[in-house]
Amino acid sequence: MSESVVLRTVGGMLFPYILVYGLYVQMHGEIGPGGGFQAGILIAAAFILHSLLFSPQGTDRLLPSRLVDIAMCSGVLLYIGTGVLCLLMGGYFLDYSVLIPSDPAYAEALGMTLVEIGVGLTVASVILTMVRKIRGEAT
Amino acid sequence: MNIDGHLIAALLVLIGAILSMIRAAAGPTSYDRVLAVNVFGTKAVMLLAIIGFIGDRSGFLDIAILYGLVNFIATVALLRFVETKRLT
Repeated sequence: MSESVVLRTVGGMLFPYILVYGLYVQMHGEIGPGGGFQAGILIAAAFILHSLLFSPQGTDRLLPSRLVDIAMCSGVLLYIGTGVLCLLMGGYFLDYSVLIPSDPAYAEALGMTLVEIGVGLTVASVILTMVRKIRGEAT
Repeated sequence: MNIDGHLIAALLVLIGAILSMIRAAAGPTSYDRVLAVNVFGTKAVMLLAIIGFIGDRSGFLDIAILYGLVNFIATVALLRFVETKRLT
């Protein structure tokens, strides 16, 4: 299948659009449907499509497994870091409004976006790692 | 009056989805089944768009686009599995 020209061309054209749509779902999640989990799944799906159409080695060159591991940990760190930062600034855990005392509404949006980015990073890299494990590769 | 037209369109799309599911269950070869599942995904995208218009909720269009993209990936993965019996 990887030598099918039509599939490779269409998939190669679709790959960046799925990534951009994932970012849209990530950033627009507070207003429309979506959020961190959905965006993570979409971004992981884009890389799964890439590894289906091209070789898994090509995807590894595009996104090394070491980078996936780092993204997985930094996503969790971003989530917990935001929560602990709120704790340190005198509020409760994940109580965003204390981040910027002069503008609580803006701080609320900022904290929510940071946490959602952490969730998205973690979900995308965990899904990619699971696919890699199912495929039977050592990470 | 306008909503009635949308309802009829949704019903027709639903009938098409049921027909494609029958084909997926009865299809003699696995290529028929893959094609039927792909057609069912397209019907789901159209149904989502129509429901979004009926309820006047533009968020449904986002879900429809997402479903279309994931449907393409699922079809590619299914074809890959049918052809090589593994997903690598």
